[in-house]
Amino acid sequence: MGAVALIEVLERDGTPRHGVAVSQWPLRVGRALDNDLVLDDPHIAAHHLVVDRDENGTFVQVGDSINGIVLGTQRLASGERRPVGDAPLAITAGRMHLRLRLAEHALAPELRLDPARSLVQGLPLLGLLVLLAAALQVFNIYLDSDPDGFVRALGSNAISAIVAVLAWCGVWTLLSKLFTRQGHFGWHLRVVLIAVLAWELVSGATQLLAFSLSWPWISDFRFVLGYAVAAATLYFHMLAVEPYRHRRVRNAAIGMAVAGTLLSLWFNSQNADRLGSELYMSHLFPPALRIARPVDTPTFMKGVADLQATLDAKAKRKEDAGDDEGEGGGDADE
Amino acid sequence: MISMRSFRTGLPGLIRALALVLCTASAAAQTSAPKPVAPPDPPASAPVSLSARKVYEQARSQLVQIRTVLKGQASQTSVGSGFMVSAQGHMITNFHVVAEAALQPERHDLVSVTADGREAPVKILMLDVLHDLALLKMADPKAANFDALSFRPETQKLAQGERMYSLGNPLDVGFAVIEGNYNGLVERSFYPQIFFAGSLSAGMSGGPALDQEGRVIGVNVARRVDGEQVSFLVPGAFASELLARGRDATPLALPAWPVLAAQMMGHQQLLTDRFIAQGWKLATHPRYQVPVPPDRFMRCWGSSEPSRTGGLDFERSDCVMDTRIFMGEFTTGAIAVRHESYDGRKLGTLRFAARYAQSFRNEHFDRRRPDQQTRPQCHEDFVDRNGLPLRAVVCLRAYKKLPQLYDVSVLVATLDQPKSGVQGRFDAQGVSYPNAMKLAQHYLEAYAWVPSR
Repeated sequence: MGAVALIEVLERDGTPRHGVAVSQWPLRVGRALDNDLVLDDPHIAAHHLVVDRDENGTFVQVGDSINGIVLGTQRLASGERRPVGDAPLAITAGRMHLRLRLAEHALAPELRLDPARSLVQGLPLLGLLVLLAAALQVFNIYLDSDPDGFVRALGSNAISAIVAVLAWCGVWTLLSKLFTRQGHFGWHLRVVLIAVLAWELVSGATQLLAFSLSWPWISDFRFVLGYAVAAATLYFHMLAVEPYRHRRVRNAAIGMAVAGTLLSLWFNSQNADRLGSELYMSHLFPPALRIARPVDTPTFMKGVADLQATLDAKAKRKEDAGDDEGEGGGDADE
Repeated sequence: MISMRSFRTGLPGLIRALALVLCTASAAAQTSAPKPVAPPDPPASAPVSLSARKVYEQARSQLVQIRTVLKGQASQTSVGSGFMVSAQGHMITNFHVVAEAALQPERHDLVSVTADGREAPVKILMLDVLHDLALLKMADPKAANFDALSFRPETQKLAQGERMYSLGNPLDVGFAVIEGNYNGLVERSFYPQIFFAGSLSAGMSGGPALDQEGRVIGVNVARRVDGEQVSFLVPGAFASELLARGRDATPLALPAWPVLAAQMMGHQQLLTDRFIAQGWKLATHPRYQVPVPPDRFMRCWGSSEPSRTGGLDFERSDCVMDTRIFMGEFTTGAIAVRHESYDGRKLGTLRFAARYAQSFRNEHFDRRRPDQQTRPQCHEDFVDRNGLPLRAVVCLRAYKKLPQLYDVSVLVATLDQPKSGVQGRFDAQGVSYPNAMKLAQHYLEAYAWVPSR
């Protein structure tokens, strides 16, 4: 006689730990030894749930349990029942993740291994990324060093850059290995190289635009893009650690970018009484890259005159706060 | 820390680190001052000449120590000196000796102590913050018949090297007479000050400096800690003027911020007018006209710093004023102008641009407490100076306790050459908004190409 259903106990990442083929209804699950599937978890009742079939089809019924069960996203209390439906059902009982598949459920097609690896394929691309990132680092070191010290700076920076990238990728590889049983080192290396290139591009482009067009706000709020790049980097790293939770990882990444931006804005306004991070645009490029036309001195001074209203308002607003502070200090002294 | 304020404008490696110290002894000074083994007895223990002894004996009853005392606690927060100038109990001292009492009257009391140890409360009649003077009076209206010092008439000029005597109570050790020499007026000072070659110590601030007949020449105010016997006196004329103006004044309403603000208004107008009237030095750079002020009331120091590693060569010029106006919690009222001229031919265009930007970024704005000043607000753009493109940034901060006064800073970088350039900075503290605008424009418009011959 063929099995009517399969019930599996799953690992955290969704891989099956062990399965029990069900040959007849009802299927009883709980901590007592007379169950068909015995789950020795302290948060599970002696007879936690029953899967059975009647004229309306297969259903899940919760036994005498304090914690109840969760079907998909739906919580069921003691005594409640729900039909299984026409797709495999995820059941959470206590801290155990179960999956119930009926014989009549359609079988999902085979998935290709490592779906997360498809961002950048192949060794040539990886080689190109390494070359690009290395060239960029050499250029940065060139810019920052004096002619006599260039080679020495190159040596020490190359070593520390390689160590840093390997350490970063190593930690992510360990995490991947821990949670998915696969290292995905190549994936993590690609992610970090692309992240470095993306940040350099964002940073260079915002500075150049801020200078060329005399738009200080672009580099003033560059940190917003910085958080976006950082969040995207974490998202792609996490894809190789939690490959079955895209949505949750994506939402976490977006949340982090938003939270980081808001915290920075708040910090800037507390610290410098302004939202941006740069008091003035200080990115000077070779004169040939300037596009914005210079203004004459009287026009420029009109812009300076406009600051007075803001300054006077700020001077007045904080006066009260300042006095309170002073009195507070006085009380403390006494 | 003995100094209530000290400022240093020295560049590393230069022998000119300037450190000016006002001679008030603060509470902190007391712990660092060496304890005398025996109670000091100045007339007997000091090896003074016969005339110093005569001068001290004559002036002894007119000397006072001015103590700022914490209300309700009777411990002193700072001490200075002072002297009687009228039979009704008028006294002259430094503003910085009474600044705590003048600006935080809710926490401080002023007490005068005579050489024979009699204490009496005093009140502030009038301030002259620009010359760092205060006119005080005995709080008891019935007190009278005080011995008073008289001022040496202005018509009787002193000769350089003439002997003079500075009196006061150094470090709260005891009243003392210090011999020294008159050395004329301090050069390049915005307000006249007497250069006294003698040792002033903290606690002597506000004490009188007398000639051999015992008449007041000046008032002890400050000294340089990087030199020996380089001390400064406020000329007596300002003190006698203050006495004449404030003799019958009602005691000052405290806290005295409005008085400070009004006097600063006058100062900044004078400073702005004098600064703009003096124009700029010529021939400061082979390619550009770079604004450098004449050495009238400012001192300019230059240095040349060639790179030792084949990098950026630069020269700099740094012009500062010695005169600053003490405002109790901070000093203000000064102008500073500097520039750096960069030569990056050994670096190439890209490297030079990176270094030039780094230098433009590396500018600091003194962070005053948020209850003293707002954060800076800046306006920036490319500015055209008869064809010479500049990047200009003007940042202003408003004082919170000195309404309608601002600090203005102007940053300028020339942007016409790929491998060299000049960056300049102009700072004016405690100026009105119209004057801040005027000074900033005056500075910006001083930039240009040197006219071709």
